[in-house]
Amino acid sequence: MRNESRRLRVNWHVIAQSLIFGIFVGGLYGLAAVGLSLVFGVMKMLNVAHGELLMLGGYATFWFFSLYHVDPFLSLIPSAFVLFLLGMVLYKGLFSHLARLQEEVKIKNSMLVGFGLSLVFQNLAIRLWTADERSVSVFYSGWGFSLFGLRFPFIRLAGLILASIAILALQQFLTRTYFGKAIRATTENWESAALMGVNIEKTSAVSFAIGATLAAMAGTIVSVGYAIHPAMGLEWTLKALIVVVLAGLGNVGGAFAAGLLLGVVESVSTLFVGPYMEVVGLVIFLLVLELKPQGLFGKKAGG
Amino acid sequence: MLASRKALFPGMVFAVIFALVPLFTKRNDLINLLVLIFLYITLAQSWNIIAGYTGQISLGHAAFFGLGAIATRFLWVWGTPLLLAFPAGGIVAVIFALIIGHPALRLKGIYFAIGTLALAQILKITVGNVLPTVADLPANYVATYNLVPRYYLCLILAIIIVAVVSLLSRSKVGLGMMAVREDEEAAKAAGINIFRQKTIAFAISSFFAGLAGGAFAFYQVSYYHDLPFSPIWTFDALLITFVGGVGTIVGPIIGAFFYVIFQELFLRTFPQLHVFVFGVLFILVILLLPGGLVEMAARIRGLIATKRSGLDSHANFSN
Amino acid sequence: MIDRMLEIEGMNVSYGDFRALWDVSLRVEKEEVVALIGANGAGKTTIFKTISGLLKPTAGGIVFEGTAMEKTPIHKRVEMGISLVPEGRGLFPGMSILENLEMGAYTDRGRRSKDETLEQVYEMFPILKTRKKQAAGTLSGGEQQMLAVGRGLMSKPKLLLLDEPSWGLSPLMSKNIFEAARRINNSGVTILLVEQNVRMALELANRAYVVENGRIVEEGDSKGMLNSLHIREAYLGAE
Repeated sequence: MRNESRRLRVNWHVIAQSLIFGIFVGGLYGLAAVGLSLVFGVMKMLNVAHGELLMLGGYATFWFFSLYHVDPFLSLIPSAFVLFLLGMVLYKGLFSHLARLQEEVKIKNSMLVGFGLSLVFQNLAIRLWTADERSVSVFYSGWGFSLFGLRFPFIRLAGLILASIAILALQQFLTRTYFGKAIRATTENWESAALMGVNIEKTSAVSFAIGATLAAMAGTIVSVGYAIHPAMGLEWTLKALIVVVLAGLGNVGGAFAAGLLLGVVESVSTLFVGPYMEVVGLVIFLLVLELKPQGLFGKKAGG
Repeated sequence: MLASRKALFPGMVFAVIFALVPLFTKRNDLINLLVLIFLYITLAQSWNIIAGYTGQISLGHAAFFGLGAIATRFLWVWGTPLLLAFPAGGIVAVIFALIIGHPALRLKGIYFAIGTLALAQILKITVGNVLPTVADLPANYVATYNLVPRYYLCLILAIIIVAVVSLLSRSKVGLGMMAVREDEEAAKAAGINIFRQKTIAFAISSFFAGLAGGAFAFYQVSYYHDLPFSPIWTFDALLITFVGGVGTIVGPIIGAFFYVIFQELFLRTFPQLHVFVFGVLFILVILLLPGGLVEMAARIRGLIATKRSGLDSHANFSN
Repeated sequence: MIDRMLEIEGMNVSYGDFRALWDVSLRVEKEEVVALIGANGAGKTTIFKTISGLLKPTAGGIVFEGTAMEKTPIHKRVEMGISLVPEGRGLFPGMSILENLEMGAYTDRGRRSKDETLEQVYEMFPILKTRKKQAAGTLSGGEQQMLAVGRGLMSKPKLLLLDEPSWGLSPLMSKNIFEAARRINNSGVTILLVEQNVRMALELANRAYVVENGRIVEEGDSKGMLNSLHIREAYLGAE
C-alpha cells in the first residue's frame, strides 16, 4: 500500500512539473503566434518567415550579450527596435508590392516570398554565427525557486511574465489607442477603414513591424531560456501556425491561451509518447485544418 | 507552355550526349555532379506537376522523396533485385499520396501548403525516431558499388519524367490540370472534375518523387534514414522550379543545372551560397518575373529579334 | 466665383477588360442633394467608388471644391471632406457601435470635434447611444444603416455619399433614414445619393442623373423627372 502511494506521488509530481514547463514554453508559443496573427489579419498575407524573425531576434540578443555584455533582458529593447526597423524595411521593400493583388494570389505569393526570405535569413545566420546552437548564459541562469517540490527557474518564469506583459500591452494598444483601433478596423474591412481616413499602407507597414518586434521578443526569451540555431525558424513558424489555427484570426487573448494549451499538451505528452511530442501538435494542427471550415479566416456575421 | 516539336531534337541530342559521358570520362566528380543534376531535375519536375501545372503549392514533397528512398533502400539491401526495389519506391509513395489525397486535396491554397508541410514534418520526426541510426550499405554492396549504373538510372529517370511532362502538357489530362490552375470555378463550370484532376496530378507527382527517392537511396553509400524526409528537398524543388520557370517543361531542367553548378562552384569558398543566391532570385521571381529564367530568356530573345528586324516584338514572340 | 462641390468630367472606368463607365460627367453644387438613379449594375456604385478613390479612372477628371483629385489617395480625400457610406454598410462587425463611430472620426478633421459630433449623431439616432457597447455585427438592418450614416457623419464631411441607404430596410425604416438625410442636408452637408427606390430618391433630391449601362442618359430637376414619362415607364411601373 505504501509503495503504491509513493509511486502515485512521483507520477503527479512529474506531470505537474511538465505542466509548469509546458506553460513556460506555451507563453512563448502564444507570443510568436500573436505576431503572425496580427500581420495576417491586417494584410491578409502569411509571412512564413516569421520563425526566422524570431531567430534573428534571438541572435540579436546573443550579439548584444557576446559583444557588449548587455544583459539579455535589457537587450530586449534594442533587439526589438532593430527588428521593428527590419520589419518596416521588409514590408516596404517586399510585401507591399503584393498588397494590390487578389486575395488568393496575394496569400499564395506572400507565402512564397516569406519562404524565400526564410532561406535567405537562415543562410545569413549560418554565415554570421555558424550552424552551431547558441545560448545566452548569464550568472543567474541556473537560479530558481521551488514550491511544493516543483522547480520554477527564474529565466523561464521571467520569460512567461514578459510574454504576458507584451501580449497584454498589445491588447491595450489595439483597444485603447486610435491607431490600434485602425489596425482592428483594417483587419475587419480594409476598404471601409480606408474610407474612414486610415492610411492602409502605413498601417500595414507598422503592423508588420510590430509582428517582427513580437517575434524578436520571443526570440530573445528563447535565447536565454533555451537555445537558438539558424534552422529553428521552421519549427517556430509551425508552432505559431498551429496556435493561430487553433485560436482563430485576430484573437489576441485567444492566441495566448491557445499557445499555453499547445505548450502544455506538448510537454505532458512527452511523458507518454516521448520524442513524438512534436507530432502531437502537428496532428492536432491537421485535424483543426480539416475540421474547421473557415480555417484562418473565420468571417464574422453582419456588417 | 506547350511542348514544341522544336525542343524535341535538341532534347534528344542532349540525352545522347549525357548517355555517352561515362564512356568518355572516368572522372567521378563530373559523374557525381551530373547524377545530382538528374536527381534534382526529377525532384523539381515532379513537383512542377502538382504545383506548376495544377497550381497546388505542396510543401510536403520531401515526404514522397523520403518514402521512395526508404522503400527502395530496405528492399534492395534485403536482397530484392533493383528492378523491383526501384519501382517499389515510386509505388509506396503513390499509395501514401492516394491515402492522404482525399483529406489533403480538400484543403485550398495555403491550407494545402501548410497541411502538406505539417504532414512531411510528422513523417520526418517519426522516421527519425524509429530509425535513428545510420543506414550503411552491407560490406559486399560497398565492394561492388559502381557509379555508372547509378548514373544511367538517374539519367533515364530524368528523361522519362521530362517526357511525361511533355506528353502531359499536350494531353487532355494536362489541359484539365492547367484549367484547374487558371480558374477553379471556371473549370468546374466547364465540367472538369477538379478533385479528380488534382488527385491525378498528385499521384503522378508523388510517384516520380518516390522514384527519385529510390534512385537517391540506391546512389548513397550511407546516410540517415530521415535525411530524404528533410524539408530541404522540398525547398530545393521549389527554388529550382520557380527560378527556372514554374509551369514550364524546360524551367526545372535549367533551374537544376544552375542550382547544382552554383553549389559546386562555391563548395569550397562559400558553401550554401547557392541557397542564398537562389533564395534571392526566388523572391525576385515571385515579385517581378513569375516565369523565371524561361521568361527572361524569352524576353531577351524577343528584344534581340526586335533590335534585329526593327519590328514589333510581339510578331517574333516564340511559344 | 464659388467652387462647385464636385465636378466629374468625361470619366472612364474599367474593371480589367470590362468597361464599367463611359464618359461620365456630372456636377454637384454646394448644399444640394443630387440623386443617381438606375437599374442594378448600371454603374452607380462604380461612380461612388471612383469618387472616394477605391477605383482609379482610366480617363477623366474629378474636381472637388476646385482641387483636382485624381492623384489623391483614399485617406486624403476623407480628410478633404468626402465621406462615403458604402453599399452594404461596410461596418466593422467585431467592433462596437461606439468604436465604429470613433473610427468615423479618425481623420484630424473628425477628431477635432469628435465629442460634439458624437452627441449630434446620438441625437439623430438615439438607439445608437443606448446600444453603444454592442458589436456592430449583431445589429438589425435598420440599426446598421443608422450606424453607417452616423459613422459617415463623424468625419464632418462637406460631401456625403450615400450608397443605397434604403437597401434591405422596411418602408418605415427607409423613411427614417431619408428624413435623417434631409436633416443632414439642412445642416449644410451636400449629399450625393445612389438609390434603387426612385420615388424616395427624387423626393429628397434637388436634381437627379439617370445612369444606364455605365452612361449618364438623363439629367434634370427631380420634380420634373418625377413627372417624366420615361422614368414612369421604366422604373416606377404603372402607378
